[in-house]
Amino acid sequence: MSNNQKLYGALAEFDNVDSIVAAAKECRDRGFRKWDVHTPFPVHGMDDAMGVRPTILPWLVLIGGFAGLSIAVLMQWWMNAVDYPFKISGKPFFGLPAATPVAFELTVLIASLTAVFGMLALNGLPKWFNPLFRVKRFSRACNDRFYIVVEGTDGTFDAKETPAFLESLGAIAVETVPLPDESEKLPAGVVRFAWVFTSLVLLPPALLYAARNSTSSTPRVHLVPNMDFQAKYKTQTASPLFEDGRAMRLDPSGTVARGELDFHGSFMTGKEDNGDWVTELPVPATLATMERGRERFDIYCATCHGYAGRGDGPIHQRASQLALSGQAIWVTPTNLTEQRIVDQPFGQVVNSITEGINTMPGYRQQIPAKDRWAIAYYLRALQHAQK
Amino acid sequence: MAHQTAQIHDKISDGALTSRIGRNGLALGVLGLLIACALGALEGDHMRRFFFGYLTAFSWVLSIALGGLFFVIIQHLTNAHWSVTVRRIAEFTIGAFPWIGLMAVPLFYPLFTHHGVEEFGGLLWPWIHPHGEHAALVAKKVSWLNANDFALRLAFYIVLWSGMSRFFLKQSLIQDDCPDFKPTLKAKKWSALSVIIFALSTSFAAFDIIMSMAPEWFSTIFGVYYFSGATMVIMAWLILAGRRLQNGGVLTSAITPEHYHDLGKFMFAFVFFWAYIAFSQFMLIWYANIPEETGWFMIRRTDAWMPVTWALVIFHFAVPFLGLLSRHPKRNLGAITFWAGYLMVLHWIDMVWLIMPQYSSETLPIGLMEIGSAVGLLGFFVWAVARTAGDKPLLPRNDALLGESLAFRNT
Repeated sequence: MSNNQKLYGALAEFDNVDSIVAAAKECRDRGFRKWDVHTPFPVHGMDDAMGVRPTILPWLVLIGGFAGLSIAVLMQWWMNAVDYPFKISGKPFFGLPAATPVAFELTVLIASLTAVFGMLALNGLPKWFNPLFRVKRFSRACNDRFYIVVEGTDGTFDAKETPAFLESLGAIAVETVPLPDESEKLPAGVVRFAWVFTSLVLLPPALLYAARNSTSSTPRVHLVPNMDFQAKYKTQTASPLFEDGRAMRLDPSGTVARGELDFHGSFMTGKEDNGDWVTELPVPATLATMERGRERFDIYCATCHGYAGRGDGPIHQRASQLALSGQAIWVTPTNLTEQRIVDQPFGQVVNSITEGINTMPGYRQQIPAKDRWAIAYYLRALQHAQK
Repeated sequence: MAHQTAQIHDKISDGALTSRIGRNGLALGVLGLLIACALGALEGDHMRRFFFGYLTAFSWVLSIALGGLFFVIIQHLTNAHWSVTVRRIAEFTIGAFPWIGLMAVPLFYPLFTHHGVEEFGGLLWPWIHPHGEHAALVAKKVSWLNANDFALRLAFYIVLWSGMSRFFLKQSLIQDDCPDFKPTLKAKKWSALSVIIFALSTSFAAFDIIMSMAPEWFSTIFGVYYFSGATMVIMAWLILAGRRLQNGGVLTSAITPEHYHDLGKFMFAFVFFWAYIAFSQFMLIWYANIPEETGWFMIRRTDAWMPVTWALVIFHFAVPFLGLLSRHPKRNLGAITFWAGYLMVLHWIDMVWLIMPQYSSETLPIGLMEIGSAVGLLGFFVWAVARTAGDKPLLPRNDALLGESLAFRNT
C-alpha cells in the first residue's frame, strides 16, 4: 500500500485481561512479526499467547561470565607472573587461590553488565521517541487499558484490513497511528549534558597524563596519611619498649618449629653426646634428598659461597668491591671445596650451618634440621664434582 | 492477584503409602547398620573405624533435618507463598527430630570409652585424653571440650531442635482444622527468634561434633560451612520426597514443575553458596599460611585425600553448577530428580571429607562399612519421617497462602 509509509501502525484498545490474551493469540496465529502488546501490569502467560521466542540473553550472559572469568585470570597471571613478578610472603607468583576472588568478582560484573546492557540493546533501548506517546488514548496503558499495536513495517500490514481484523478481535476501539513529523533527534538538554559529562570524565586522566610527563619539586600529596605513615616498628629498628632495645623479638626459649618436636640431640646439632661428629647421614641418601639439598643450598648458601661452593657468591663479589674502595669490611667466605672442608664429617658441616662459624651466623631458625642434612649431603656432591 | 480459594483435587493423605515407604526405609536401615556393625567388629580396632563412619552418616542425616528446620523457619519468616505445597513435607521431616536424638545415643559410647585407643586420644574425639604433639594446646581447651559438658551440650542441641520442630509442625497441623489463621500467625511470630536460635545452635553443634575432631584447629566459618551443605541437601531431599509421593499417587497436581523449579533454584544457589564458603575458609588459611591453621588442610591436600579434595571442587561445585545453571533442567522432572539424588550423595562425600581424614590421613577409609552406616541411618530417618507423617495430610490444606501456591508460576 502506498500510504503504509506515513502510518506508524494500528492501535487496538481492550478493556480486560482475558480479551487481550485471546486477541494476542489471534495475532500470533495470523503471523504478524512487527507487533506488540502493552499492559498496565505483567500478564502471566502473555509470552505464550504472543508466541515470543525465548530470548538469547541468557547465552549472552553466559558468554559475558566466561569472558569475565578468563579476563580476570589472564590479567592477574600477566601482571603477577609476567609483567612485574614480585615475591610476596613465599607465595607463587601466580596462585589460583589468590586469583579466585578477583576472578569471581569480574565474572559477576561482566555477566551482570551484559545482562543489563544486553537487555537494553535487544529491546532497542534507549529510544528517544515513540509515536504511540502522541496518541491520547494510549495514556491509559499505564492505568486500566490493554493495547495491541501492529506496526506499519510488518510485511502483512494493510491500512484497511489490519484495523478491521483488530476490530474483529473484540477491541473496544481501533485507530491508526500516523508517523508524526517530529524528528528523532536527541533533546538539546541531553546533548548538552553529554558534552559536559564527557569533558568532566576526561579531566582526571588529562591531569594524570600531565603529572606523569612533568617534574615537580613539591612533595607528593598524602591522600591517606595513616597508611603512608604507620605507627609501627619496622624490621631491624630500635624500640625503647624492650630491655635489649630491639624492635624484633626472639622466639621464646624452648620454641620448636612445627614438625621438629621429635628431633633431638645429634639430629639437630650434628654432634653425638660424647662430642664426636656424626659421620653417617641420618636422612635417606636418595635423589630426592639431593635435589632438596641443592634447592636449599642455592637459596641460603649460594649467595655468599657461590653456586659451585667456591666462596664467590654475588654478595661476596659486591662486598669485596666495596671493601676495595674502603666502604666496607669483608671477610672472604670459605671455599667449600677446600680439602679442609672436604675432610669434615657430615655432622661438622651440619653443626656449622646450625650454630654458625666465624663470621657466618647460624641458620638454625631459617633451615629445618632435615634440610640442613640435605644441604650437607648435596655439598658432598659439589665437592666430589670439583675434585 | 485476587485471593483464590484453594481447590484441591488431589489425594492429600495416604497412610498405606507412608507406611510402605517407612517399612522399606526401616528394612534398609537395619540392613545397613547390621553390615556396618559386623564389618566394624571384624576390623578389630575397638570399633574405631565404625564410629568414624557412623559419625559421618550421622552428620549427613542431621544436616537434612537441620536444613528442613531452616527451610520451615525461613518460609514463615519471609511469608513465602510459593512453597506452601511442599512445606508440609519439610515439617514432617523435622517432626522426626526426636529420632535423630536416638541416632545420637551411640555417640555417647566413644565419649566415655577409650580403652585400647589411648594412643589416638579417644575413640572419636581426640581431646578426651589429650595426647601427642598437640596435648599442651588441647589441654587449654578442656573447660569446653570435656566428655561431661559435651554430652550435656549434645543432648541440649537435640532437645532444642526437637522442641522448635515440634512447635512448627504442631501449628501447621492445628491450622488444618482451624477457622481462623491464628496458628499460622503464631508460627510466623516465633520464626524470627527461631532463626537466630537455629543459627547459633547449628554453628556450635558443628564446632562440637565435627570441628573438635581436630581440636588444635579452629575456623569460625566452620558452622556456616556445615549450614551451607545442610540447606543445599534439604532442597534435594524435598525434591526426592515430592517425586516419591507423586509417584505413589499423592499430591499429583499440587506440586507442579513450578515448585520443582524453585526448589531447584534454591539447590543451585546453595551449591554455589557452599563453594563460596568452602573457598572463603580455604583461601584465608592458605594466604595467612600459619602452621596451626594449615594443618587441617594439609592432610586433605596431601597423600590419599588430595583426589577427594579435587573431586569435591569438580563434582560438588563445577559440574552441578553448570548442570543446574539453565532453567530447563530445573523444570524437567527427570533431570531435577537426578541432580537431587546426585547432590545427596556428594553431600555425603563432603561429610566424609570433613571427618574421615581425622581417622587416617594416608589411606581412604571409604568402604562398605561407611556406606552401610550412611544407608542405615538414612533408611532409619526415612522411616522416622514416614512414621511422623502417618495418615496426616501431606499438604497444609487450610493454609491462607495455599491457593496462591497452587497457582504459582515462574514467569
